[in-house]
Amino acid sequence: MTDPYEVLGVSPGASDDEIKKAYRELAKKYHPDNYADSPLADVAEQKMKEVNEAYDEINRMRQKGKGTGSTSSSSSSGYGAGSSSSQYYSVRVYIQRNMITEAEQILDNVPSGNRSAEWYYLKGMCAYRRGWSDEANRYFQTACEMDPNNQEYRAALNNMNAQRSYNYGGYNTGGSMGNSSCGCCDICAAMMCYDCLCSCCRGSC
Amino acid sequence: MFGYLQIQKSELLVREYEAYKSVYCGLCKQMGKDYSFLTRLSLSYDCTFYAMLLMSLYRSCSGFDNGRCRFNPLKKCSYAHCQDNSLSKASAFSVISVYYKLVDDIQDSKFFKRIIIRIIKPFFSHWHKKAKKNYPGLEGCVEKMMQMQNEVEQSENPSIDAAAHPTAVMLSSVLRLEAKDEITGRVLGEFGYHIGRWIYLIDAADDYEKDIKNGGFNPFAFAKTENVKETMNNTLNQCLARAYDAYQLLNIKDFKGILDNMMLYGFPSKQNAVIFGQQEVKYDRSI
Repeated sequence: MTDPYEVLGVSPGASDDEIKKAYRELAKKYHPDNYADSPLADVAEQKMKEVNEAYDEINRMRQKGKGTGSTSSSSSSGYGAGSSSSQYYSVRVYIQRNMITEAEQILDNVPSGNRSAEWYYLKGMCAYRRGWSDEANRYFQTACEMDPNNQEYRAALNNMNAQRSYNYGGYNTGGSMGNSSCGCCDICAAMMCYDCLCSCCRGSC
Repeated sequence: MFGYLQIQKSELLVREYEAYKSVYCGLCKQMGKDYSFLTRLSLSYDCTFYAMLLMSLYRSCSGFDNGRCRFNPLKKCSYAHCQDNSLSKASAFSVISVYYKLVDDIQDSKFFKRIIIRIIKPFFSHWHKKAKKNYPGLEGCVEKMMQMQNEVEQSENPSIDAAAHPTAVMLSSVLRLEAKDEITGRVLGEFGYHIGRWIYLIDAADDYEKDIKNGGFNPFAFAKTENVKETMNNTLNQCLARAYDAYQLLNIKDFKGILDNMMLYGFPSKQNAVIFGQQEVKYDRSI
């Protein structure tokens, strides 16, 4: 078994506060929201689990017995297979398993007259998983235009916008100031949506 | 498409900056040892990033030697060395990519430049063979990219995604070669894909005006948009955002400060400099 102190990146002599701080930082880093639509969602989830286990283990070893603050990682990666009533249930399952070619095959067989907002959303999700972010962006936009009230599509588009307007430490002074002013609200809204979705899925399972 | 993967010097600690310089000089020395004095001139920041990533993943940096620069004997510098073949792999990668760039440039260049390329190409051809013998996997990835790239450029109206795909896949498969298990492979693959995509697209953004003037191939020329700079910036931001998500899942220990600096400051500020022409932080040219 791996050393729990190593997982958290602290020395065995670290104080409780230091451990808590390290844990919080890692939990923030691997938080499922950061990997909402990412093909690496499961990897992040696994890391989160390891961090949680290590933190619990250390707490146990230090005989606190309180089980402080260890939030069990929310197991759904924010991308639910949705309700089985959905027309594209199998496509969603394929996407969730990262079987993008199979998912796209089904989608491409849908005649162009029958393509709903969901079709565009799922097509966007396939493109996103393959790394074709630009194409994904266009599909998500179409999905949102066709069905402006759907929170799932809106959340995906907001995730795109957040990624597209975030310039890290590059001191972004040029261009998209308009985007960033409302970006915060969008992100919050997106997170709330994901939260709803997560709890829905877990409830139904 | 070289030299975009830079550090932001102003945000580095002095010891980190010195370590970065030593890896750069160490790689330069390794290229001289493996190939020739001439190949050392083709050293790029991109290959330094690759070498640094490898040395970090394998934790193989075993220290620094003091010495003098071969090109400027008055300058003292230190050389990083490693226990495994990280530096030698990076120098092979550099030689291979320079060779393919020359092959590519012969077709696109003007008369005089073409003559110069024709003169130096046989040398690189020889070193390329040697690199291919040592690292056939690496060479295969780059060769495949060149084929795919030609197909894309010949196709009608390729999208930004399609145009960037070959380079992205190349770096993705190059980094995948280093993975010991499936999970690490996926993370490295995703990381490489989006860094490769970023490299290709920032190069395209850099050449945009030149290509429009000369009728060269440029993926942004097909983008239907009013504000091309904003499209470039958004697309590139997203590459870095997704690369950073994958990077966070890598187990980086050595050189973490330097690699973090590149991901969070170096690449974005390079991007801003290329697209918006903002003042770049000046680098010591001889590092």
